[in-house]
Amino acid sequence: MSVDTDPFALFDLPRRHAAAREAIEQRYLELSRAAHPDNVVGEGTAARRAAVERASAINAAYRTLRDPALRAEALVKLGGIDLDSTDAERGAPHPTQAFLLEMIDLRERLEDGGPAGVAAVRDDVEARSDAALDAAVAALDAGEVRRAAEQLVARRYFQRFLDETDSSAP
Amino acid sequence: MAYSNKVIEHYEHPRNVGSLDKGDATVGTGIVGAPACGDVMKLQIKVENGVITDAKFKTYGCGSAIASSSLVTEWVKGMSVDQAMQIKNSQIAEELSLPPVKIHCSVLAEDAIKAAIRDFQQKQGGAPAGEDEPQH
Repeated sequence: MSVDTDPFALFDLPRRHAAAREAIEQRYLELSRAAHPDNVVGEGTAARRAAVERASAINAAYRTLRDPALRAEALVKLGGIDLDSTDAERGAPHPTQAFLLEMIDLRERLEDGGPAGVAAVRDDVEARSDAALDAAVAALDAGEVRRAAEQLVARRYFQRFLDETDSSAP
Repeated sequence: MAYSNKVIEHYEHPRNVGSLDKGDATVGTGIVGAPACGDVMKLQIKVENGVITDAKFKTYGCGSAIASSSLVTEWVKGMSVDQAMQIKNSQIAEELSLPPVKIHCSVLAEDAIKAAIRDFQQKQGGAPAGEDEPQH
């Protein structure tokens, strides 16, 4: 993975989840200032385009690094598992049948329950989503990329559920 | 993203949404998920004398995933189990004019019908489908 696609390398930070928020903000300001397209006003098209691309890469890396879940997903990707891929080897690991069944049961509980039920289910799923991220970070710290990936996949399912229930709320 | 008219038609008027009795020996249930996006799909078939007489689905996912599973439930009704086993995701994608980024939705529907058939065959004490001779 090149500096362009490795946000940790671009920001010159160690590949650890526990990145200090201040360090990320500090590096973002430094890099943005150095790469600002205004610096190359008057230079050629190629230089201006390169500056814009670099600024855009810095912004993308910053968005990834500042979000704990995206930061964890980036570390898993650097570890060889791309959660956005459906490849059997290098893609997102498939959840168990029991987990998928539960995701359907959760929806069915929502359809059957009233507004109070929806709130209770949502609280429960939010807590489990947070717990999945915590477990993923613990797995990353222990160097267990696959286990981290499994937890992040579970988190994606929980988040998907929360997005759905959010948009269908009255 | 622009959805094709057929996707929109199935999305707005999905066919065969619902559930069959999972405990029924003539019902096969397939549950599959797309881990990259969190989509989950349940597809069930009822089989009588080797013919699929009913099919239901519940899909929690994007419009293409809903349309793919809706289409498959329409197709398989009246098919033999062996015919249904031959359904390919490329046929689904073609029928719905799915763009390349949505092909995985049709793969999900193919996986779901195959999983449902396997579940039915296991309930009947048969071998998993696809590896053995067709059973009649």
